[in-house]
Amino acid sequence: MIVNWIGLWTIIRREISRLMRVPVQAFVAPWVSALLFIFIFGSVVGPRIASIGGHRYLEFVLPGILMLNIINAAFLQASTQVYFQRFMRSVEEVLVAPLSYAEMIAGTLVTVVFRTVGTALGILVIAALFGVTHVDAIGEFLFWVVIVSAIFGLIGIVIGLWAKSFEQLTVLNIFFITPLSFVGGVFNTVDMLPPGVRWLAYGNPFFYFINGLRHSMIGFGEASEPLGAVISLVLLAALAVAVWRLFSKGYGLRE
Amino acid sequence: MTPALSIVNLRKVYRRGTVAVDGLSMTVNPGDFFGFLGPNGAGKSTTLHCVTGIATVTSGTIEVFGFDAVKQYRDARRLIGLSPQEFNVDIFATPRQIVDWMGGYFGLGAAERKRRVDELMERFDLVEHQKKPFRELSGGLKRRVILARALVHQPKLLILDEPTAGVDVELRLDLWRYLAELNRDGTTILLTSHYLEEVERLCRTIAIVSRGKIVRNGPKEEFLAGGLESAYLAATGARPEHIAGAAA
Repeated sequence: MIVNWIGLWTIIRREISRLMRVPVQAFVAPWVSALLFIFIFGSVVGPRIASIGGHRYLEFVLPGILMLNIINAAFLQASTQVYFQRFMRSVEEVLVAPLSYAEMIAGTLVTVVFRTVGTALGILVIAALFGVTHVDAIGEFLFWVVIVSAIFGLIGIVIGLWAKSFEQLTVLNIFFITPLSFVGGVFNTVDMLPPGVRWLAYGNPFFYFINGLRHSMIGFGEASEPLGAVISLVLLAALAVAVWRLFSKGYGLRE
Repeated sequence: MTPALSIVNLRKVYRRGTVAVDGLSMTVNPGDFFGFLGPNGAGKSTTLHCVTGIATVTSGTIEVFGFDAVKQYRDARRLIGLSPQEFNVDIFATPRQIVDWMGGYFGLGAAERKRRVDELMERFDLVEHQKKPFRELSGGLKRRVILARALVHQPKLLILDEPTAGVDVELRLDLWRYLAELNRDGTTILLTSHYLEEVERLCRTIAIVSRGKIVRNGPKEEFLAGGLESAYLAATGARPEHIAGAAA
């Protein structure tokens, strides 16, 4: 099948245009939040904590802060994009056009990556002001940024299709994403957890995302990065198939 | 001759079990100006939604210039322009963006899009409003934007779902002239409207739908013998004397 490149690019530029209507919400808010985390962990709490694996505490925690913001940005971008279009019924503009489901999904995911990369770059600039921006392996770093963005972009699409109200959009974030991120090793190593709850980290995909990004930035890892990459790729493939099925059935989209 | 639109035994049942369209069949010939009439809830908009991909089809077939609207949906949709009854747009976007984006979805390149958007802004007197958010426009201006959007890719089949609802007399007359011109130039037009005068003036063929089925279909002249209103009321099951009695 021939790809409708102009149609795909139109979805992307439309969503970037929509995103740029709310730059404070999209970019400034996560940057301010990250700045506060970096300040507290860099200048207030960090100096009182012993180094971890030879790294200052702020160096250890920065990849976690970055990943938290990437996950949030990806989820919010995709879920609000899909829900907003359903709410306004502007999704019908795309449904009546000669666009395939794959193009609709790809357009959403490219915008997700645009937002997460913008968010991540801003945080890295802020961290550089505190002298902690290290990226040891740029390829590995980009792999984790893009794959996690895509995973949470796809989850965001599912929630955007399912939600019947703005409140429902936030349910997953409150009860699933935020708790799993916090027990996934943003602020601590697995060793610091009580032995009885360490499974919460090892059984948690967020732990592997954070571990992978941390390894790419400072070379510190607590689990096998290839295992994390496999888990992420499998998750990505499963979600991509699920989202494609929902689109092809018209779930939440077509009457 | 391949019909512009062929619908055979279309059935649409919504998830909650409501049967909106029940075995509807009709054919629109190329170049025709086709009036699609019926009371509220008869299944007109649902039928159009099935044709354009907004609604899924429960059973039956729809072909647009020979392309199956489900299996060959990309080919079919390229040929259709839809002006829906509801304003289904991003209300924060500007008329220029709305029309430009639709051109993009249909694969028009940047230069062609710019040319078409300029033409349509001019044609629909939207130039001075083209950079205002859609939500700040009056009802008539909004309707013009929706029409411009439907026309950006120069569709062979133009579907208009109550295009003059809520617009003033001046715009309505201007629109009638424009639609007649488009039709003369070869665009097939399928129009739904509650204004019988509009249908009588513009259409050459009329179909009346009631309870999800076509109840009468034919050349306009067949409907005009005893008056279109009487023909319409008789076909939909309402009797003029009852309506007159109720009004009195």
